[in-house]
Amino acid sequence: MLIPHSETDAAYVIRTAASEGKTLALCGGNTRSGFGNAVEAAETVSSRGLTGIVDYDPGEMVMTVRAGTPAAEVEAALAQNRQMMAFEPMDHRGIMATTGEPTIGGVFAANVSGPRRLIAGAARDSLLGIRFVNGSGEIIRAGGRVMKNVTGLDLVKLLAGSFGTLGFLTEVTFRVLPVPPSIETIVIADLDDEQATNAMAAAMALPVEVSAAAHLPPTVRHHFLDGALPGSAATVLRLEGLSASVAVRAEKLAAVMQAFGSVTRLGMEESKTLWREISDVKPYAGIAEKPLWRVSVAPTTGHRLVAALRLEAGIDAFYDWQGGLVWMRMEAEPEAALVREQIHILGTGHATLMRAPAAMRPETPAFEPLPAAIAALSARVKQKLDPVGIFSPGRMG
Amino acid sequence: MQTSFTPAQLEDPHVAESEKILRRCVHCGFCTATCPTYVTLGNELDSPRGRIYLIKDMLENDRPADEEVVTHIDRCLSCLSCVTTCPSGVDYMHLVDHARIHIENTYKRPLPDRLIRNLLAAVLPYPARFRAALALAKIARPFAPLLKGIRVLKPLGAMLELAPKSAKRAATVAESDAVPPKAEKRGRVAILSGCAQPVLDPEINVATIRLLTRFGIEIAAPKGEGCCGALVHHMGREEQALTFARRNVDAWMAEVEAGGLDAIIVTTSGCGTTIKDYGHMLRLDPAYAEKAARVSTLAKDITEYLATLDLPKLEAQKLTVAYHSACSLQHGQKITMPPKTLLKTAGFTVRDPAEGHLCCGSAGTYNILQSEISTQLKSRKVKNIEATKPDVIAAGNIGCITQIGSGTEIPILHTVQLLDWAYGGPKPAAISQKR
Amino acid sequence: MSEAIQFLPPRPSVLARRDTIISDLLDLLPPECVVHEARALVPFETDAFISYRRLPLAVVLPKNTAQVAAVMKYCHRAGIPVVPRGAGTSLSGGAIPQEDAIVLGLSRMSRIIELDYANRTATVQAGVTNLSISEAVATDGFFYAPDPSSQLACTIGGNIGMNSGGAHCLKYGVTTNNLLGVKMVLVDGTVIELGGKHLDAAGYDLLGLVCGSEGQLGIVTEATVRLIAKPEGARPVLFGFDTSEEAGSCVADIIGSGIIPVAIEFMDKPAIEICEAFAKAGYPLDVGALLIVEVEGSEAEMDATLASIVEIARRHGVKTVRECQSATEAALIWKGRKSAFGATGRIADYICMDGTVPLGKLSYVLEETSKIVERFGLRVANVFHAGDGNMHPLILFNANDPEEAAKAEEAGNEILKLCVDAGGCLTGEHGVGIEKRDLMRHQYSDAELAQQMTVRAAFDEGWLLNPSKVFPLEGRA
Repeated sequence: MLIPHSETDAAYVIRTAASEGKTLALCGGNTRSGFGNAVEAAETVSSRGLTGIVDYDPGEMVMTVRAGTPAAEVEAALAQNRQMMAFEPMDHRGIMATTGEPTIGGVFAANVSGPRRLIAGAARDSLLGIRFVNGSGEIIRAGGRVMKNVTGLDLVKLLAGSFGTLGFLTEVTFRVLPVPPSIETIVIADLDDEQATNAMAAAMALPVEVSAAAHLPPTVRHHFLDGALPGSAATVLRLEGLSASVAVRAEKLAAVMQAFGSVTRLGMEESKTLWREISDVKPYAGIAEKPLWRVSVAPTTGHRLVAALRLEAGIDAFYDWQGGLVWMRMEAEPEAALVREQIHILGTGHATLMRAPAAMRPETPAFEPLPAAIAALSARVKQKLDPVGIFSPGRMG
Repeated sequence: MQTSFTPAQLEDPHVAESEKILRRCVHCGFCTATCPTYVTLGNELDSPRGRIYLIKDMLENDRPADEEVVTHIDRCLSCLSCVTTCPSGVDYMHLVDHARIHIENTYKRPLPDRLIRNLLAAVLPYPARFRAALALAKIARPFAPLLKGIRVLKPLGAMLELAPKSAKRAATVAESDAVPPKAEKRGRVAILSGCAQPVLDPEINVATIRLLTRFGIEIAAPKGEGCCGALVHHMGREEQALTFARRNVDAWMAEVEAGGLDAIIVTTSGCGTTIKDYGHMLRLDPAYAEKAARVSTLAKDITEYLATLDLPKLEAQKLTVAYHSACSLQHGQKITMPPKTLLKTAGFTVRDPAEGHLCCGSAGTYNILQSEISTQLKSRKVKNIEATKPDVIAAGNIGCITQIGSGTEIPILHTVQLLDWAYGGPKPAAISQKR
Repeated sequence: MSEAIQFLPPRPSVLARRDTIISDLLDLLPPECVVHEARALVPFETDAFISYRRLPLAVVLPKNTAQVAAVMKYCHRAGIPVVPRGAGTSLSGGAIPQEDAIVLGLSRMSRIIELDYANRTATVQAGVTNLSISEAVATDGFFYAPDPSSQLACTIGGNIGMNSGGAHCLKYGVTTNNLLGVKMVLVDGTVIELGGKHLDAAGYDLLGLVCGSEGQLGIVTEATVRLIAKPEGARPVLFGFDTSEEAGSCVADIIGSGIIPVAIEFMDKPAIEICEAFAKAGYPLDVGALLIVEVEGSEAEMDATLASIVEIARRHGVKTVRECQSATEAALIWKGRKSAFGATGRIADYICMDGTVPLGKLSYVLEETSKIVERFGLRVANVFHAGDGNMHPLILFNANDPEEAAKAEEAGNEILKLCVDAGGCLTGEHGVGIEKRDLMRHQYSDAELAQQMTVRAAFDEGWLLNPSKVFPLEGRA
């Protein structure tokens, strides 16, 4: 593994590889390397040698960090100033059964997010600027360090979520937000998936600023808070903000939710734990044998997808993002064709195979296959950033 | 915005004025969004900004009007919604007035168009001729669909369809006589009797007289007053318009000098906008400039005047009124609140239909000359009004009343008719018949 | 008319075929959808950046995606440049045509296709105006968050082209953060759909790339956007200061304290006077600088947040604090602010800058801006989104005085360079367009510009889409 310690070194490594046509697998801390399809590369280059916070002015709510800096270090520095990454990045080590330190570059390269994605956007929405080395070994800056910037093409968005196939991130600048001083969770007990979907949609339509909405069916409920959630299934809604305000909003939300089922409330500490566990997909962590899907669909179609699939395959599932993010663990085969067909029958969306036994992976494209015109466009875009095709070949293809 | 006129061009006071208006426009495009024709047709050329540009190009190049320009200027309703919207204060009204005069002076319209315009200009402003024409229209109405099928005769068809289906009850008070107040005298006003309104609905001014005299207002009867000139003014027939204007100025000034006038009351807001503009229209006529300006300041919409009388608050009644704000009132005269406040004070529940800023498509002779766009606007307006589920519709302009009335079963009245009723007048026939 | 910025020379082969092209377009579209008479083209020669003007070859106003696709397919085959146009409200000249180009106007595609409250999405045609989305969902308790000042007139298609922001994006983000999907026509007429009602893209974030691409990657014909539940209440509060410096440092302190109001807008004295003259919103006229801070939520919430903000403002010597008392008053306060640019037309011609700077540099950049403008003997009014450092100096000049017009442009360029040098960027929300194109080299290296242009080429190899914009003409591949 090559670990350049400066951006210049990284550019040199990549330039050399490009001239030799040598393929490179790009990574940060390697905790998310299992993402996507298998990569066959001559060499691995990691950004973990590029570390340190370059610039952080809490007053401006903007931080610039070298890409290989551990995400934990970034979070600690932010926490000292009572700030955070609004998109609440999940930690993939549990479900990917990996070890090591996730890097901040990896967070953005995989466009990671968590429950607050629903209202605060994904990593790409907080990312203001990047520095990266393209496939020709050139150092490119895109975006900047201001909130609003429409100067030229938004390569920042393009690189976010490109999983190391378009460029080698060396530095990221992102927006941060103050940590909410107070958190509460409203729990509605014993709803089935459809009732839960209706309850979540109703909650999101209220002027109470629900910051996360998840549904934990009976099969997964006991994994959370050491089984302390009441009832058999739990539909959970999070409120955040100034404590006086959260209290008022919680009253209003609870009052409306009573129409759906019995309501209880969780305080600050339990809420923090619960949402961390939901974010990190605790029920499906550590059991690497069974295929795990991450499905993004319109919120009201999540439960319909699961219901339709249950007729044909053994699956276990729970929902985040108001029902639109479905974590689905298959009992046996990944059933990719079935899953993807159902998604398109029900509307728009996509499924990503997060993990599966090694034997099943080659025959299942990890990422949603794209319509021909978009696939061709994507291939052309890739060719423009990585003309020789040296970056992580195969991962997204 | 930048303009390019030569000093010689700017010697023409009309051009000089238009240049000043054009300089204010920053081409921001806000006006497009509230323009009924742009909203309907989706073409920049049919937006205020597009027309301003067409006019600028025509005037700067000293060019006679051509078909392209005429088409798009003709489609302008002169609703002045753009003037309300414009943050820069572009005086579109006087710019488009100038353009219409320029068109009339430099462009020869196709024969059928000329004939219909001549017909309108020769009939509408004269109550006797108009009354006779309506009698004929009743006979000819069955031919309307036939006429509409022939492109050049479309306006005739539209005209027939708009003619009221039933004859209005004759007025019970003669309009040509002065009327003393029925309470302690608080003021003295003249009421524009006008041209088309007394023919289409004499009840409006009768109700106005009843209401005003009931509250102590004496009604003067100036001699020789007639059409305000708006109809021909909007056709660009400036000399004819100015002749009407001068005649009215003479009539009212004579009354001002004889018995004094607190106001010249206008119950047709389309006319009100024009009379309030007499001062501007006659500004270049030394003999009339001052008098016309005086008349313009005296001119008051009936609701504007009633608002100064502090009418007593009445108990709430069950009737729900959808208030249709005539463009000439809300955009032309910037009178938006008084009619609604008066109706509420008189006990009515008042609803504001959505898209209240959009014209109903009446716009003087527009519903005859541009019947297709007018019909689309009418349906849109009626839909918005009906969505408020009113018992009755109120409006301050006979044009709107005729236009909207031809598209809905809900009774439509002049605001003043509802007020007169509430304050002791007879129940308007339209409501009695429908309920 | 200014001449400092060049357009691409028209392609003689296209100009020579003008008549054929028009008759071909008339074969493709109904006659009312093709504008080609010389006189009728004049109103399309510019947008809200009126210093520059070019007549197009023709204008097409298609009614549906299929017609857009037919036009694009034809233009692609025939090598004709296409300039997309929404409502033509661009302040950077994004919709200004060129002599060999067809203007493709989306104004006839103004239908709201679907409102889906359970999924909180609206699907609309590209020609729908920004405000009409919020109006359509208001009675059901929702709104569409990005609110550019021109929201009354500007279209969603144009918003996507420029990644438009607005006053309230301090809390809710700009267009790209509120856009879920588009239907778009590629340069060759292929129709694709990116995103949908779900979150995040499959594959590369092409949706993110398209947003803000100024009509150079394709023609967006439909969009699915995120709706948000309307807060219980919203209250704009006016804070008057003696100096711009005090106001500027107050903004930095509010944000630094961890409070994020929905909007923080800044006006200096000239801007206050201009806006008050139009809107009569009751802005204090005896102050040197004004902040409009909007908070939202329940009454209790707004009171609590406001109390903290007032305390910070007091530390910065606030002179007047005025809370608005009614919804009508609040509407007037925003009407004044949102009409600021147009209202400036009452006193002078103007060009509007759009640089963004880090919050800590606000006061410095304001001061330097005044110096620059003074040096050119001109006046400036400042009205902008202070909460995110997005500045809008309005440089006032007389458009009928060519010398002064040239000076205004030069002053504008210096201000934008100042913004970049202060750690910011050329444009926060208006887009590069034609206006800032030649300044791109001040912000980007040759390699960076080349990289953007190659990515652009993945969509439009032959530079047919809005080709005179965004990227400097020299050094194009």
